[in-house]
Amino acid sequence: MRNFSSDFRRLVRSLMIVTAITLGTSGMVSGQGAPADSTQAAGAAAPAAGGSAVNGDPVAGEALYKANCTSCHAINKRVLGPALAGINQKYNDEAYLIKWIKNAPAMVASGDERAVKIYEEYNKAAMTPFPQFSDDDVRNILAYIQVEGDKKPEATATGGTAGGGEGSADTGVSNFMIIGLIAVILIAFLVILVLNRVIATLERLLLNKGEAILAEEDEVEEEAKDKFAGLKRMAKNKKLVFFVVLGLVVLLASFGTVEMWNTGVHTGYQPVQPIKFSHQLHAGTNQIDCQYCHSGAWKSKNATIPSLNVCMNCHKYVQATEKYDGEISPEIKKIYTALDYNPETQAYGDNPRPIEWVRIHNLPDLAYFNHSQHVKVAGIDCQKCHGPIETMEEVYQYSPLTMKWCINCHRETEVKHEGNAYYDKVIAAHDQIKKGEKVTAAVLGGLECGKCHY
Amino acid sequence: MESTKKYWKGLEELQKTPEFVENNKNEFSEPLPIEEVLEGTGLAAATPRRDFLKAMGFGLGAVTLAACSEAPVRKAVPYLIKPEDVTPGIPNYYASSYKGAGILVKTREGRPIKIEPNPSCPINGGGLDAQAQASVLDLYDVSKLKGPLLSGSEASWADVDSFVKGELNKVQASGKAIAIISSTVNSPSAKAVIADFITQYPATKHVTVDPVSYTGIIKANEASFGKAVLPQYHFEKAQVIVSFGADFLGTWISPTQFSKQYASNRDIKSLEAKRMSRHIQFESGMSTTGTNADSRIAIKVSEEGAAVLSLYAALTGAAVQGATLSNAGAASAIKLAAKELLNAKGAALVVSGSNDIATQTVVNAINAFLGAYGTTIDLDNPSYQYTGIDTDFNTLVADMNAGKVGAVFFLESNPVFTYPKSADLVNALGKVALKVSFADRQDETAAVCNVVATNHNYLESWGDANPVEGYYTLVQPTINPIYNTRQAEESLLVWSNNPVQEYYTYVKNNWVKTALVASGKTWDDVLQTGSVQLAAKPAGAYTFAGNVNTAAASIAQASKAIAKDVELQVYESVAIGSGAQANNPLLQELPDPVSKVTWDNYAALNPKYAESLGINQFDIVTLKGGDYSIDLPVLYQPGQAQGTVSVALGYGRVKAGKVGDAVGKNAYPFLSYINGTLQGVNSVSITKTGGFEELAQTQTHHSFEGRNVIREATFAEYKHDATHGSGNHGAKHKTYDLWNKYDQPGHNWVMAIDLNACTGCGACIVACNVENNVPVVGKDEVRRRREMHWLRIDRYYTFNEEGKKVTEEKEIEAIEGTMENVSVVHQPMLCQHCEHAPCETVCPVLATVHSSEGLNHMAYNRCVGTRYCANNCPYKVRRFNWFNYWNDSRFDNYLNNEFTQLVLNPDVTTRFRGVMEKCSMCIQRIQAGKLEAKIAKREIKDGDIKVACQQTCPTNAIIFGDANDPNSEVSKALKNERTYYVLEELNVQPGVGYMTKITNTGLQEA
Repeated sequence: MRNFSSDFRRLVRSLMIVTAITLGTSGMVSGQGAPADSTQAAGAAAPAAGGSAVNGDPVAGEALYKANCTSCHAINKRVLGPALAGINQKYNDEAYLIKWIKNAPAMVASGDERAVKIYEEYNKAAMTPFPQFSDDDVRNILAYIQVEGDKKPEATATGGTAGGGEGSADTGVSNFMIIGLIAVILIAFLVILVLNRVIATLERLLLNKGEAILAEEDEVEEEAKDKFAGLKRMAKNKKLVFFVVLGLVVLLASFGTVEMWNTGVHTGYQPVQPIKFSHQLHAGTNQIDCQYCHSGAWKSKNATIPSLNVCMNCHKYVQATEKYDGEISPEIKKIYTALDYNPETQAYGDNPRPIEWVRIHNLPDLAYFNHSQHVKVAGIDCQKCHGPIETMEEVYQYSPLTMKWCINCHRETEVKHEGNAYYDKVIAAHDQIKKGEKVTAAVLGGLECGKCHY
Repeated sequence: MESTKKYWKGLEELQKTPEFVENNKNEFSEPLPIEEVLEGTGLAAATPRRDFLKAMGFGLGAVTLAACSEAPVRKAVPYLIKPEDVTPGIPNYYASSYKGAGILVKTREGRPIKIEPNPSCPINGGGLDAQAQASVLDLYDVSKLKGPLLSGSEASWADVDSFVKGELNKVQASGKAIAIISSTVNSPSAKAVIADFITQYPATKHVTVDPVSYTGIIKANEASFGKAVLPQYHFEKAQVIVSFGADFLGTWISPTQFSKQYASNRDIKSLEAKRMSRHIQFESGMSTTGTNADSRIAIKVSEEGAAVLSLYAALTGAAVQGATLSNAGAASAIKLAAKELLNAKGAALVVSGSNDIATQTVVNAINAFLGAYGTTIDLDNPSYQYTGIDTDFNTLVADMNAGKVGAVFFLESNPVFTYPKSADLVNALGKVALKVSFADRQDETAAVCNVVATNHNYLESWGDANPVEGYYTLVQPTINPIYNTRQAEESLLVWSNNPVQEYYTYVKNNWVKTALVASGKTWDDVLQTGSVQLAAKPAGAYTFAGNVNTAAASIAQASKAIAKDVELQVYESVAIGSGAQANNPLLQELPDPVSKVTWDNYAALNPKYAESLGINQFDIVTLKGGDYSIDLPVLYQPGQAQGTVSVALGYGRVKAGKVGDAVGKNAYPFLSYINGTLQGVNSVSITKTGGFEELAQTQTHHSFEGRNVIREATFAEYKHDATHGSGNHGAKHKTYDLWNKYDQPGHNWVMAIDLNACTGCGACIVACNVENNVPVVGKDEVRRRREMHWLRIDRYYTFNEEGKKVTEEKEIEAIEGTMENVSVVHQPMLCQHCEHAPCETVCPVLATVHSSEGLNHMAYNRCVGTRYCANNCPYKVRRFNWFNYWNDSRFDNYLNNEFTQLVLNPDVTTRFRGVMEKCSMCIQRIQAGKLEAKIAKREIKDGDIKVACQQTCPTNAIIFGDANDPNSEVSKALKNERTYYVLEELNVQPGVGYMTKITNTGLQEA
């Protein structure tokens, strides 16, 4: 029953998603087509208009810019450092800019007025010196900034509405879905109404031709009689009936057993989380070590969900603005909201609200599980229990977390005792008992009740 | 096995009363009402079939529906910004102190869950008493106020501040006095705060009033040696100790410290070196100290002074008035004690629990004669644990009555409850304009105050203490204030417009100025270690300059006044003490070390004496002394002196909170001023009321049915043959096993308990309760023998006739005459983790099984509650959960509320109704210790893992460790000649070894 309901829910959910996607994409395609074109046109036109003193290769500059500058700067946005659009015009002195970019602290130290002003304005955060840059490198970067800077204002001007539209579309994906669903229901109603009309018309017609109908009905009944006769014949075949009944019983019994056996097992549990955090992106694409966020797993029983200050280590400046047309990603914004952090002023407010994640892996209270024992001492990969976490867009429960599952692993897994002095004495004692056999957790008492239940 | 001494837990066992025999037939006193259901109205009712079908139908439907529902969604809320030092799942420890005793506070995710002793504390040296262990629950007390009160209604701190300041200025202007009334303040910073307050308001007086004071000793020392101090006693240096009613192992001055000192001359190491102190106790009521004495002589309350005088006379040979004892037994015992004391001159110590200046003066004379000053008594490094002078408060009450006092502040003090003439005090307080209490709850005194400036719990506070000369401890907060409270010292700083308004800064400044300079340590050092110990001053010898003869006259007069009617002795009980922690259910349910009574105080009478008065056990009697009377149930207390009655203080609170209200009766009004000090002696009349109330006693629960479980020997026998009395002679019987032997290839966790070191104080019980989430069940459930304590301390009485073995029934009858000469053995009893555990073989569902580490595991979620195991356990250590104590409105007062449950240890499951539980040997600590070693890739060192009971034991009577490590403390202890196993003849092969109790009968054998 539980399974049936969840199946049904899954069905509904997938239906909704399909509807939403079809409706949403069609809407977005039609809505975005024109502005995208105009952006490109503006981008192509801009350098010609404002490309006064820039002589570098924006393509080479792009690579350098993305590798070296993006952690502190954005083109149109103040991040850790100032927004860079228009610096060529603002300072209008290439040599001066090259000197500054290559060694900013020296500029500040030399007492350059403008450099000091910026330094003061940005909380005395010194800009990293880049002695490895050649003058041409810097020129290339400046060229790229010029190109991007010229392109962006218009892009945001036009794209502002598009971005806004998309923003509302994004927060309103569900709106789209709801509107879509209402439309579908309305259409369905219309169809039903039309059909009813048709049926009514047909009935009226039929009533007018009563005799004909009677004849037809007789025919139908005769056909039905024939059909029932076939069934009756089959019902008289006792062997067939026996096998059918047997089949049904076996089917029901096995279905029931499986169902009951798996009561309370939530493999595949994939709740909707308050933030659409993607392990696939963080652990998979970006290859961030699990330990960076789940530091508890190595020293505590709790793996710990990272506190938001850990998120902020990166997301203070990683804001995925490139994906959202210069806007901060709405998901990253949720971190800021939770911390009451203002990305503009980089100040924390006093109204933080903790994020309530939905716990996916739930062990009953009666079972004690310690991450550090398994991860640090036994050296088990996270994936062994949590599955291909680095490919999960949304995390789901991969393992059944049943006692049978625990026990099986304890039976099979060999204890990693080499180089751990704790085991020396224990293993030595065991060697006398179990010569040549592999030492599993079970051999060291890993199956005893009190190891997990106390 | 040679001992045929008869041991008994209570009179019902001695006399084999029918109820006792009946109750002991089964482990559980109340059978399940199966018969009733089958035979009675159950099935014969009109429509049992329909009801049955209805119930079954509903049940099936409900279960089906319940199975359909999704598992509940559980949220995980991480820190917003995680404190650097906190890792969820790993405890943090903070060094702090509780009443001057060094502690380590274990916190999990920012909430304190356990108090552990600080091993570096020179006072308690790694031990902690029951009250300190239980104090963590006070933090989560639901009866506390949530914010300050102004004229009885909730107010903001700003309002309170402006009101108090305004009133203070008015008082200042009127020229009336201001009084800060506190129990002993030995915190240097708090004293400085009060001094600053006095500077701001010069009319302020600081009056110290201790509920149970030691004024007698302080005043006597002033008279005898010119030093008005409470000295430090060194029981570890005393070879002969004579105590006149001083319960120094239970409640007297610094019991944990004294227990440790005392045991150092009686524990394994000392005995192996063939050294053992001799302890003679003269007292009227049976105290914890009395139960541990080698010789205990019951004397009447009125005879105590005469006994001290006759000891003085016997020692010095001087003729002193009143040095005669009518009690012939006591008189000869005094002569013997004098002889032994003389033999041990320089290593002798005489103490008296009396608060009478004259008695203490004579004691001083005796100690000076014995050369105790400079050796066993240190007047140069005094104790500041109690500095109250009784008359000060009397004077203040008189001033209040005269309208000379304009404002009073009550700091850690509840005199409306503890002052004997409470009504007078309330009356006098009516004439005071500003009355401020710093209580954390609306207690008896706070209820008559116009301001209650709710104080922090000590776990939320900054502070310090200077309990003894040269030793300074720090109190640091381990949790943010839970309610809208403010530290009392901070309130005083605010009200006195101190330039430093924050108490933390104040404490730190004070330390930087004083203790840090003197010790050369930094503030961070002290935060880490919790204390500073300065070099002790050399303890000098003192000559007695008092006057014994005037003292003798005064003693004689006072004795005469008491020696009428029935002589009453009021005392502090080990669990409840002065009553300040009366709202702590852990302490209320801690059985008294001697009487094993919980949740009540009672009138303790000698059984023979009570019989002569026609009073039965549990009869309610009226005790009337002066114009105060209380009704209390009677307890037959073997060892109680004839003609005396003992009543515990600290009970009978009316505004302690949900738990402590109306538990017992208040005995403070029986205290009386005699020669300027408040003394716990009085003369009362006893009359039966005709009522009957059964006390919730644990003594006869879990009986060993007369099996021989105690092994004893005298010190002389021990010196002759170390195995004496332990039954470890020659070859043992060949035993046969039905089972294959378990291998313990890794660890083999075992325990050794030294019966000679155990004083029965009960700290281990509370430590176990807090560590293992053991529920509190309340008075009614204890009466039904359903207490849940995993660890109990069995107290056995045996007749003792001064060294003679009393074995035969006839002889028992002969000496039963007075029921005064009993000696006591305390035996901590917990799951023995038997190799051949009888419980394991009878469990139908394999819920309790043996581990490869020598432990008897209990899987709660597997248990179906047949209770076969408990019935088959010869040690009676298994406990059945009759209720879901954590979620049952009947237990609302104890642990059934979300706030109090914050104290739970998250590493231990709370057990559900219908399952068995028992001592797990703190398996969570074993597992944690092993994991720590594994992570550090090292072997487990002996002492890495300490179980909760062992950790708190002040006398190290409990030793736990790995028997597979031949060098571990426990392996060595178990190889001791004294080691025996309880009921080893059953061949259950227990994992807990006991060591014989040795009694030093001293000269009596020579």
